[in-house]
Amino acid sequence: MIENELRPKVNEFEIQGTNFSDYQSPLFIAWQLNSICNLECLHCCEEAGEIMPNELNREEVMDFCQQIVDLNIPYVAISGGEPMMHPDFFKICEFFRSNGISLKVETNGLFINKEVAARFGKLGFRSVQISVDGASQDTFEKMRIKGNFKKVIEACKFLVEAGVNTEIVFVPTKFNIHETGKLIDMSYDMGIYGFYTGKIMQIGRAGQNWDILCPSAQEYEEFFKVLTEKEKQYAGKMKVYYYPYDVIEELKYRLEKPSASLLVIPNGKTKLIGPLPFVCGDLRKSKLSEIWNDYQKAWKKDEVISFTKQVIENPELLKEANKWREL
Amino acid sequence: MEFQKHVKVRQEKFGAVVFETLREKIFVTNESGAQILSLLQAGKEPEAVTNELSSMYDGDPAVIKKDVDEVISTLQESGIIKN
Repeated sequence: MIENELRPKVNEFEIQGTNFSDYQSPLFIAWQLNSICNLECLHCCEEAGEIMPNELNREEVMDFCQQIVDLNIPYVAISGGEPMMHPDFFKICEFFRSNGISLKVETNGLFINKEVAARFGKLGFRSVQISVDGASQDTFEKMRIKGNFKKVIEACKFLVEAGVNTEIVFVPTKFNIHETGKLIDMSYDMGIYGFYTGKIMQIGRAGQNWDILCPSAQEYEEFFKVLTEKEKQYAGKMKVYYYPYDVIEELKYRLEKPSASLLVIPNGKTKLIGPLPFVCGDLRKSKLSEIWNDYQKAWKKDEVISFTKQVIENPELLKEANKWREL
Repeated sequence: MEFQKHVKVRQEKFGAVVFETLREKIFVTNESGAQILSLLQAGKEPEAVTNELSSMYDGDPAVIKKDVDEVISTLQESGIIKN
């Protein structure tokens, strides 16, 4: 070996911090598998509910899964809608896991009973992430319309018992922000692996309900104070993770350093990033490897840079996020 | 040496990327680091890694051993391979 410049080096980065164009394919796929959902959450950023017209069919879904394996993409997160309502949900999970892909499932938890939890346990997911937006039935069900607090807490317990890395995700709003600390304590008592939160995003139904949902600056200040305290309290015992930036700060960062990931929506189109309306690919028209190249080029397009800057200046434009624009 | 459960390694043009998916941390190595990773993934012990690299490269085995040990130590400290 080993000339100086060739000597082995190992450097660490956050997923957002790497240079996306260095990679032969994405490191991460965020896949919104479907759009149908059994809930009508006030703060849903996807406006989930009904089946999206022209969602990928069974054959197309499995072809996409195979492309992920072929490109050696290490990590996939499946969400929805409610992904467990997809008829091939388990088939897809089993396919990924049998091919050694790290898999996270984001669900409302209402379809998880003891047997399902055991099945998840056997599949060896990276994690199952359950949305729990409150520490009491009253608060939870105010936000998660048609939700069932008791059932969701039970689902968390079943998952923990089955040895599944279980994460709770919590979106703070005016309705529930006062219960943040209590929910973190509850999470620890249940044996949860990680508690995740961050500021609510002004997109989808959350954008439409912004005035009744968005916490005040003072409420956020108290929220982050609680999180800092709880992070210390549970250090080494449970991960308390909060993303301190809002969507605008995220966009500023992404303009400089786009992530090495792709966001795929139920109809097979790939979005540049959730809060922007741009579509940079379509699995029905292009291979995933081609879409990866198009994604990299898209971030350099004037149209994207200029609109992103406009959104940064005027966050009202986030309401355009789900009105797709083909690049 | 055993890799942690949720760690994925992928060879890249620049070397390799190691993705610790549970903590969502990414580590990158150059080509030399990638070779060490690849040999460790194949189940080789550190001594065997050093020997194999010494036979491939015209370098001082003591230096190569030091490099291999340093990479392994970094990977252990970063939670990529088990101690």
